[in-house]
Amino acid sequence: MKIQCSAKRFLFRLILIATAISLWLPGTVLFAADRVSYRLKWIFNASVIGDIYADARGCFRNQGLDVEVKAGGPERDAIMELELGRAEFGVASADQVIRALAKQANLKVIAQIFQINPLQWMFRPDKMRIETLADLKGHLLGVTFGGNDESILRTVLDKGGLGEKEVEFFSVRNDFTPFLRKKVHFWPVYRNTQAVFLEDKLKGAGEPAAYFDPAAYGVKFVANSVITSTAIYENQPQLVRRFLKGVLEGWAESLNVKNQDIAVKILQSYEKETQTEILKKQIELTRSLVQPNPAIPIGTIDIEAWKQTETIMFRQHQITAPVNIERVLVPLAVN
Amino acid sequence: MLLHRRIYQFFIIYCLGVSGLLILKYLISLSDYVIPSPSILWRTALDIFNPYFKGVMNTLIVAVVGQLISIILALLLGIAGRRATWFGSFIKAAAYNIQAYPIVAIAPIIFILLGDGILSRLLIAAMICYFPLLLSVIGIMSEPVSDVEHFYRVTGRLRWQLEVKIRAFENLGKITTVIAGSATLAMAGTIVAEFIVADAGIGYAIRIALFQSDLSKILVALFLIGITLSVYQGILEGAGFIIKKGWTKKEN
Repeated sequence: MKIQCSAKRFLFRLILIATAISLWLPGTVLFAADRVSYRLKWIFNASVIGDIYADARGCFRNQGLDVEVKAGGPERDAIMELELGRAEFGVASADQVIRALAKQANLKVIAQIFQINPLQWMFRPDKMRIETLADLKGHLLGVTFGGNDESILRTVLDKGGLGEKEVEFFSVRNDFTPFLRKKVHFWPVYRNTQAVFLEDKLKGAGEPAAYFDPAAYGVKFVANSVITSTAIYENQPQLVRRFLKGVLEGWAESLNVKNQDIAVKILQSYEKETQTEILKKQIELTRSLVQPNPAIPIGTIDIEAWKQTETIMFRQHQITAPVNIERVLVPLAVN
Repeated sequence: MLLHRRIYQFFIIYCLGVSGLLILKYLISLSDYVIPSPSILWRTALDIFNPYFKGVMNTLIVAVVGQLISIILALLLGIAGRRATWFGSFIKAAAYNIQAYPIVAIAPIIFILLGDGILSRLLIAAMICYFPLLLSVIGIMSEPVSDVEHFYRVTGRLRWQLEVKIRAFENLGKITTVIAGSATLAMAGTIVAEFIVADAGIGYAIRIALFQSDLSKILVALFLIGITLSVYQGILEGAGFIIKKGWTKKEN
C-alpha cells in the first residue's frame, strides 16, 4: 500500500515537472517539426530564390516544418526521388512531369512557379531581325537537342510554317563560346540567370542583344512547378497545405521589392562571386516571369498552358498517348 | 575462343545488372519512369537500335584511333622516360601533372582550340587512355631482363632499340593485357568527350536520353557499348596472341 502511494506521488511529481518544462519552453519546441525533403530542379540561383528565401527566413518553420532544401542539377530528378522516398516535395519542369505520367508515375502538381518560361533565345539584332516567325528562315539556330528548348523551337517553327530544311540547327552545350564568337546568333538562355551574365558581357563589348520569347508568339511551354507524390497528397493533405503555404510565402516575400536587399543577401550567400547589381537584375527578371500579372497569385497553375505543353509533346512523339494532364493539376487554396 | 568467352561473360554481367534493377523495380513498385519494364526496354531497343548502333560504331572508330595515338604516345614517352635520368623524371612529372587535370575543366579549352569536331573527341579519348598505358610502359621498360641483356651488354651489342625489343618481348603478355584494358578507357574517354564537346557518337545520344530521363534508352546504349567493347577487346587479345606466336617463331 505504501509502495503504491509513493509510486503515485512520483508519477504526480513527474507530470508536474513535465508541465512546468513544457510551459517554460517556447511553443515551437513543444512538438517536433515535421521533417521533409524538397529537391529543387536546379542549383541555388535566382530561379529558386523563393525556395531558398523560405528556408532562410523561416517560412517553413512558421508552418511547423523542418524542410531540407536540396539543390538540383542536371543529374538529379525530383520525380525519381519522390518515388524512391528520398524527397517528399520537389520541383520539376512540365515536360518531366508529362514524361513521368506517360510511364505511370504517381504524382501531383500543386503549384506552378513560373508563369512565363524563363527559357528564351538571345539573339544579335544587328545580325538578324525577328518580327514574325517567318524571319527565322535561313538562320542558324542554337538548340539543345533533347532539351526543352528543342521541343519549344520545333513548335515555334511549326507555328511559323517553317520546315526543318528552311533553318539550320546548331547543337548547344553548356558553353557560350559559339555565340560569343559570333558563330551562332540565336542562342537558348535562361532569361533570368544566364542571360544577365551574357548581356553584361555583350554590353562590355559594345554589342547589342535582344530576346526571342516563344510565349509572345503563342507557344506556351510550362517550366518549373512544385510536385509531390499522389500518396502524400492523398494521405497527408495538411502537410501538403502547410508546405505549399511556406513555399508560396517564400516566393511572395522574396520577390517583394521591399525585401529586395534581404533576397539579394540570401542569394549572395550561394553566389559569392557575383556582383550585387547582377543579382538584383536576376531577381527583378525572375519577378517578371513568376508574377507577370499582379492580379494572378504566385503559384497559379495555368491549366491551358499545361494542356498546350502536353499537345506539343504528343505531336512531337515524345509521349505515345495523351496523359490527360488536368487530372494531376491540383491547385490548392492555402489560405 | 577469347572473343567467345568475352561476349558471353558480358551477357551474364549485363543480364545480372538489368535483373537487379527489375527486382528493385517490382520489389518497391517503381514506375516505368524510374526503371523501365522489360516490355518498354524491348520496344525501345527495337526503336533505337539502328541510330544507336551507328552511334556506337562512330564512337568505336574514334576510340580506336584515340587508343592508337595514346599507344604511340605512351611508347615514345615510356621509352624516353625509362631511365632514371633528369629527362626521364621530367617526362614522368609532366605526364602525371597532365593526368591530374580533370577533363571537364580542360574540355572548354579544347573546344575553343579545336571546335566540336572529331579532333576534340580524339584528343580527350587519347588523354584519358594514355596514362595507364604510360605507367605500364615505364614499368616494363625500366625493368631490365638481366639474363638476356647481360650477354648483349658484355659483348657491347646492346643498343637502346635492342633493349626495348627484349623488354617488350619478355613482357608481351602484360603489354597485351594493358592495351586490351586501355580499350575500355579509350571508349570511356570518347564517350566523356561526346558528352562535353561533340554532336555525334553514343555519348551524345546518352546525353540526350539523360535530358529526357529515359533510362530505357540508356540501358540499350550500355548494352551496345558493352558488346562492342567486348568484341574489340577480344580482337585485341587475339591479335596480341598472334603477334607473340609470330615473334616466338621468328626467334626459334
